[in-house]
Amino acid sequence: MKWYRIKALLLKYFYISINSVDRWFDIFYWPVIDIFVWGFASFYIKELSNFNLLSVLMGGVILWIFVWKSSQDIATFVLEDFWARNLYNLFSSPMRISEHVTSIVLFAFIRGLISFCFLILLAFLLYSFNIFALPILFIAAAVFILSLFGWVIGLFVVSLILRFGQRIQILAWSIVWVVQPFSCVFYPLSSIPSWAKPIAIFLPTTYVFENMRAFFLEGRAINYGELLYSFILTLFLMIIVGFFLYRSYAKAKQSGMLAKGD
Amino acid sequence: MDAIEVNNLVKSFREKNKLIKAVDNISFSVKKGEIFGLLGPNGAGKTTTLNILNGLISKDSGEIKILGLDPEQNELNWESVKNKINVSTAYYSLSEQLTIRQNLKVYAMLYNIKNIQEKIDQLLQMFELKSLDNRKVVQLSSGEKTRVSLCKGFINDPEVLFLDECTVGLDPDIAEKTREIIRDYQEQKGTTIIFTSHYMYEVEELCNRIAFMNNGRIIKIDTAGNFKKLIKKTSIELTIKENYPALMKIMKERNIDILSTGTNTVVFEVSSSTDQLYKLMNMIFKAGVKISDMHMNKPTLEDIFIQFARKKQRVR
Repeated sequence: MKWYRIKALLLKYFYISINSVDRWFDIFYWPVIDIFVWGFASFYIKELSNFNLLSVLMGGVILWIFVWKSSQDIATFVLEDFWARNLYNLFSSPMRISEHVTSIVLFAFIRGLISFCFLILLAFLLYSFNIFALPILFIAAAVFILSLFGWVIGLFVVSLILRFGQRIQILAWSIVWVVQPFSCVFYPLSSIPSWAKPIAIFLPTTYVFENMRAFFLEGRAINYGELLYSFILTLFLMIIVGFFLYRSYAKAKQSGMLAKGD
Repeated sequence: MDAIEVNNLVKSFREKNKLIKAVDNISFSVKKGEIFGLLGPNGAGKTTTLNILNGLISKDSGEIKILGLDPEQNELNWESVKNKINVSTAYYSLSEQLTIRQNLKVYAMLYNIKNIQEKIDQLLQMFELKSLDNRKVVQLSSGEKTRVSLCKGFINDPEVLFLDECTVGLDPDIAEKTREIIRDYQEQKGTTIIFTSHYMYEVEELCNRIAFMNNGRIIKIDTAGNFKKLIKKTSIELTIKENYPALMKIMKERNIDILSTGTNTVVFEVSSSTDQLYKLMNMIFKAGVKISDMHMNKPTLEDIFIQFARKKQRVR
């Protein structure tokens, strides 16, 4: 891998972001809507039950941003090259697939970080919610695990796009929302139906949100053993997706997908 | 050493459970500094061949060597080869949300070019895009996009350049200038160019040698001049001022193939050898036939192209 090529691609994604209003929208608009919806919902729940869920819901919204942004940005940036029929030029350059992936992953992370910071500020201003009430080590671990898991989803979608083309592009926006209900972002694992539990237990995200909730609601200490397990699980998924991506790239070269770009 | 060597290259695609051979056991080599044309009808296998050579499609079997390296051997070889080659096509755009300058900067960085701004300015000047440099690619006309793609193709001063239908969509004036640029650039830098085009005159004008492809196979490789010799007849159209019957009598006596006749015109075919034409014209003048106009239609590469495309058989 050559850093100057990764830098070139990072610059490309930066230019796309500053040149396109949609890309600004992505970073701020939908996350802000989430902050309002869940903030107001927590007020209503408090009114009904005198139970304060604000910190749990806000923590969920703010941390989920890394899974959401990472997965969606990775798939969308690759799709954008498909739409512009630009894969032809990119892949005929000396760029390696690993450099392509690294640059997209890094850029998606940066965009996620911008959304994260913005939401932290907004949640503080609107609801006096301070995410830093959580231990810094937990926040760092959560950001890392959730981003890594977002990359797993994003790269899985990219692998599918390389195999099946743009006809499965809807997955770029939808797959993360299929994963969310099973990740126990806003409710505990114990509250979901028994058929859904095995799926939730398999997802690394569940352990992050379970720990966050336990900390906020019960004042329980963070179980770093669970986070380590979650990290290993994500790493395992990443290795599988990495292999799948590599095979899909080879398949795309074989089928002529990169040259056709559709 | 040849810049490009291709031996027994085969590539098939599966379409609706049918295996289609896009490239069927082709072999050719391109000398350093040569402009080599790939010519053939749609689906002949030209673009697939180019895409295998620039690493976008993997081959089924056969051997390719670019600048002495077998790129398929390992990733490092591909990287080394791709640093020295480039491709330009009218059919694939650069990033549409980026301006021309931003796009070229990204590609200059990908190829690790020094003095990026200077290089970009030089290319924009060359392809008359300077005034549009801050315009997004999505806002450009197809001809302008084609010129941007050419700028990208030249950004790393490639040793081998693949130009796939690179003048499609250009107006005649710009297309002519583009051919001039390609020719001048090739002369200055000694770049090896593989060129595909649907415009026969363009291939004839630029290429040292041409490979005719059809149904995934190379039918023949030769110079444009030698290809034209394959069509042995030249058609001649005469407009007669006086003594039309005498002309027709000579035609009949000499067994000349008459293609069409009008009230005072005749179109006929003679052997392309100047000798036969000279003798015939001599007889016509001696018989007192007065000619007011004469058109000679020499065989063009297009005639050969049509002939080969229709034959669909190997003559090699």
